[in-house]
Amino acid sequence: MLRSLRCAALLGGLFLSASALAVDVDPASYGYPLTNPFEATIATTPPDLRPDLPSIDDINQSDYSLTMRPEREFSLPDNFWPVKKLTYRIAKQDRAAPLIFLIAGTGARYDSTLNEYLKKLYYKAGYHVVQLSSPTSFDFISAASRFATPGITQEDAEDMYRVMQAVRAQNATLPVTDFYLTGYSLGALDAAFVSKLDETRRSFNFKKVLLLNPPVNLYTSITNLDKLVQTEVKGINNSTTFYELVLAKLTRYFQEKGYIDLNDALLYDFQNSKEHLTNEQMAMLIGTSFRFSAADIAFTSDLINRRGLIIPPKYPITESTSLTPFLKRALQCDFDCYLTEQVIPMWRARSDGGSLLQLVDQVSLYALEDYLRDSPKIAVMHNADDVILGPGDLGFLRKTFGDRLTVYPLGGHCGNLNYRVNADAMLEFFRG
Amino acid sequence: MAKHLLLLAALLCAGVANADNSKAHAPTVVDQDGFKEPLSKLKFNPGLDQREFERSTLNALNVYDPLESWNRRVYHFNYRFDQWVFLPVVDGYRYVTPSFLRTGVSNFFNNLGDVPNLLNSLLQLKGHRSLETTGRLLVNTTLGIAGLWDPATAMGLPRQSEDFGQTLGFYGVPGGAYLVLPILGPSNLRDTGGLLVDYTAESQINFLNVAEVSSNHPEIWALRAVDKRYQTSFRYGQMNSPFEYEKVRYVYSESRKLQIAE
Repeated sequence: MLRSLRCAALLGGLFLSASALAVDVDPASYGYPLTNPFEATIATTPPDLRPDLPSIDDINQSDYSLTMRPEREFSLPDNFWPVKKLTYRIAKQDRAAPLIFLIAGTGARYDSTLNEYLKKLYYKAGYHVVQLSSPTSFDFISAASRFATPGITQEDAEDMYRVMQAVRAQNATLPVTDFYLTGYSLGALDAAFVSKLDETRRSFNFKKVLLLNPPVNLYTSITNLDKLVQTEVKGINNSTTFYELVLAKLTRYFQEKGYIDLNDALLYDFQNSKEHLTNEQMAMLIGTSFRFSAADIAFTSDLINRRGLIIPPKYPITESTSLTPFLKRALQCDFDCYLTEQVIPMWRARSDGGSLLQLVDQVSLYALEDYLRDSPKIAVMHNADDVILGPGDLGFLRKTFGDRLTVYPLGGHCGNLNYRVNADAMLEFFRG
Repeated sequence: MAKHLLLLAALLCAGVANADNSKAHAPTVVDQDGFKEPLSKLKFNPGLDQREFERSTLNALNVYDPLESWNRRVYHFNYRFDQWVFLPVVDGYRYVTPSFLRTGVSNFFNNLGDVPNLLNSLLQLKGHRSLETTGRLLVNTTLGIAGLWDPATAMGLPRQSEDFGQTLGFYGVPGGAYLVLPILGPSNLRDTGGLLVDYTAESQINFLNVAEVSSNHPEIWALRAVDKRYQTSFRYGQMNSPFEYEKVRYVYSESRKLQIAE
């Protein structure tokens, strides 16, 4: 009897898994113009293929701040005054409406370009929109993070959940019908953990959760990103650094164009000019941007926890103190260094010492595998050529999410989020 | 024998170094999950130990800034002033005026600004640009009714800003010490001097009589300042980094170099 039940369960499982295949968007009909993943990541969608969005003047929005960690008022140095409180942005509809939370990606603030884009998209579709900084963002680490050592996703999600509750309390009179949640990149991983937390804490009862380009294995993602600055770039030599190389190209581009015009189409146009960057150069550029995030995180975390790795614990800092010597030290630290020097020691001390593998399991999507498999309200959109993924990661998503996973053939890392087709799919998911 | 081997190795290395080392044109291999593995398209430094990011950044941090501690204080003053005075005023301005009026105000002041743009284009002997800016001034002042509208941009004459700092830079004057000006923000010795020259020139030329009228009516200056802030998209804190001062300093120096070279 038992055996036949098992057999039935197995067959049922096989049948279900066969029926719940991920949605693979057909490359031929998708129509996204950038086939190079690095170009897509940097330039994103050409302006005329983006959805129509309202202008900022038509959005009723304001910035508010929250005092999440009152003690930081005293423990942080003077020149941190702007980040002693956590700022967020809320766009309100003038009637009862569903509310959607947006969580930004690695090191990004509530007003990052992608968050602003998503705000406009969802606001136009009739949602109240709350934009939140990433738990790895400088302002969030300083103002809202209990341990000020982002990277343990579970802890980051708890910090984030408190912030969301405080946002709700500060806007208690806002008529909200339902709560929704979304995030991109690292923010999507955070969103998954926040959603899990909400199942027990029940402050929001999120109706639907959408993860956009989440890292699957966090360690793979940071390794990939760290590796991007190791590309062999032609044209770098003893007298020319990478920045000088890129700036020289940019100067020549503007000289040929005849005037300087900074607009949305600039990067796309630049890549179509003869000064365009090679794959290696673009990878280096993406890697550079992430290295700066890593430096900010490593410095802020070290300062607040007084670990003395980058800045001596009692170093006097006023508004006129130069931080350049500490930037010089912090920029030597990539994500792997931050993980090894700051996250793992703290995590070991707090969790009776585990291995790196255990940590990676805990902080990645793997930790939520069962929950994600059994939660029909959570969906994922990802790209087949995303630089933060490694081999096997898409397989994990396919296995776990089934038909709630949509894989786009192109787009790099988040480059196609502002493509009209993706925008429609994102709205459709929450509408349906 | 060893010498021969060494020579052979050197030759082989040279062959590798001369070959197109980019893998950009290698066919994309899709694995069974449908993953394209974009990193496989890159040519990595074999030891994964290059320090180019560190070298570039350390190099970029060398901006001549002898007044750093004063500059940092002013930077924080500006940040506070921006948050507590400037931006709230701009928000109020945005709230009480319709959008076409704000555009009109911006166009009007931009049209005034085309006078120093023209002067400096001439000083740099940029014939084509001077002609275009002259065209802009003529079209916008007449058809655009004293500059309230900007038909010139629609006619394919984009606004091209040139200031006296750029002119000095064009003739090889170095930027000098980095300087954060109260309220006006990042600058350097050369560009601060340029600012004074442009200001004097503008009040001497007294185009459309605005300079003379505004000496009696400071509200015109106030409106100009609010409009300037309204048009400037920079927000303090938007770099979201404890090292924003350094980053702004670098971006300012490099963007000035770019404007001068262009």
